[in-house]
Amino acid sequence: MTAHSRRLRTDRRQQVLLGAAAGLYAAVGLGVLLMLLVSSGPLLLRVGVWQALLGVHWNPLAGQFGLVPFMSGTLLVTALAILLALPLAMALAVVGARVLRGTGPSLMTRGLTVLAAVPSVIYGWWGLTTVVPVVRRWSGGPGFSLASAGIVLALMILPTLAVLFQDALTRVPPTWQEGSLALGATDDQTLVRLIWPAARANLFRAMLVAVARALGETMAVQMVIGGQTIWQLNLLRPGATLTTQILTDLAVFPPGTAGYRALAVMALLLMAGMYMLVRISERWERTP
Amino acid sequence: MSQPPAIRVADLSVWYGAQRALTGITLDVPAGQVLALIGASGCGKSTVLRALNRMIDRVPNVRWQGSAMVGDTDVLGPAVDVVALRRRVGMVFQQPNPFPFSVFDNVAYGPRLHGIKHPARLRKTVEDSLKQAALWDEVRGKLRRPARALSGGQQQRLCIARALAVKPQVLLMDEPTAALDPLSTAKIEELVRELKGRYTMVVVTHNLQQAARISDWTAFLEAGRLIESGQTGTIFTTPRDARTENYITGRYE
Repeated sequence: MTAHSRRLRTDRRQQVLLGAAAGLYAAVGLGVLLMLLVSSGPLLLRVGVWQALLGVHWNPLAGQFGLVPFMSGTLLVTALAILLALPLAMALAVVGARVLRGTGPSLMTRGLTVLAAVPSVIYGWWGLTTVVPVVRRWSGGPGFSLASAGIVLALMILPTLAVLFQDALTRVPPTWQEGSLALGATDDQTLVRLIWPAARANLFRAMLVAVARALGETMAVQMVIGGQTIWQLNLLRPGATLTTQILTDLAVFPPGTAGYRALAVMALLLMAGMYMLVRISERWERTP
Repeated sequence: MSQPPAIRVADLSVWYGAQRALTGITLDVPAGQVLALIGASGCGKSTVLRALNRMIDRVPNVRWQGSAMVGDTDVLGPAVDVVALRRRVGMVFQQPNPFPFSVFDNVAYGPRLHGIKHPARLRKTVEDSLKQAALWDEVRGKLRRPARALSGGQQQRLCIARALAVKPQVLLMDEPTAALDPLSTAKIEELVRELKGRYTMVVVTHNLQQAARISDWTAFLEAGRLIESGQTGTIFTTPRDARTENYITGRYE
């Protein structure tokens, strides 16, 4: 056998192996989706999709499967987290990309990366011992609240968002910045009029990554949100999100029960939300 | 339009940290004329250029001595308003660097910076600048197209239009045709000849024929020192210094 044909055989084997690995991964992903569809199907058929999605009362034992409290909780907590984290992350990114010199930026990126890797239970712990008491003193309520969850989440996504923002800003070519400065622009004008617009697609995609992280976060939120299943919009009162309710009730409802099926619907909702984010992000990639 | 200023560089030395980039450069460019800076890579041509609009400020640990008068202002003086200076002294770079905006927004970038908001005035300024840069006929009706869809030569003329839109008195060009094909180069050279008289210009170039074609004055630099300067015709026909002669006849190593 010649060396060449041996190499061709190795090549073919590698292709089969790698193809199998990719296939396995796709199968697992589809399997999860299938499992959720099978689990949720009977319930959705019985009570109807809109009934389930738009109901405001969650009491599976009494046959009430309204998901509005959790969708509302997820949206409020995510929105609050993004709202708080966005300006802070941009400030950090501007400092890292435009103010610090020498080894400063890389040191900052390293620090932020370490913070981004801190396990969420530790952020939750901090929320429990610091944020909840502050909110309690401030609002007079229990302290466990949508606001506490939003604040903890904001701090959690801040490092990721700042690193991605910083990356987006430093990707703007220096020759463009020189062009702007040579026209008599100040550094601030260059940032606002050239760098932000030039980086806007990357900035937007960084924000979508942060939104996805916030939507999916469970542990840190569960530790401070209070787990209230009655729908209300006061940020200073307890609430629940799709993910925290799955965590809470998975231990309560055995497979096959109606409650279990309702949790599968929540999981499907989350996946649909993530899918939408991915699609939006792709659209922005194509139009710079 | 007001008369462009003369440029007088006197005994200019520049250091980047401990490294000396220029030593005692003295140069004159009469009002409205073109000076070509020639010399090997790293000889300090770009540093002279970037001193004139203070882009050297962006280099960490830069220091300088001497003066550079643009009209009545010493642009290297401590009290100089760098932002105002850069409006008077425009710059065109080696690589065409249009912003990722439309043709219109590129040219309007400078005027908008300086507070012009009125749509009709902006439009007029953009049109005038594009006409001056000999680009108007090629982009009229396409002002909303992305600038980066233009050809390299058109992009460079767009950058010239962008510089002209803030109504400078001086134009600095740092190897403006180094990235362009011969046809686009010819257009830029023609443009330089047309702009002569309205702007005082300093052009860095590696192309000696180009220097001979477009400039009134030529200065030859070597290792941060001015070897010889004078009228372009004289420098290219009867250089006084042997090093200049070697360089322009290609015997330079």
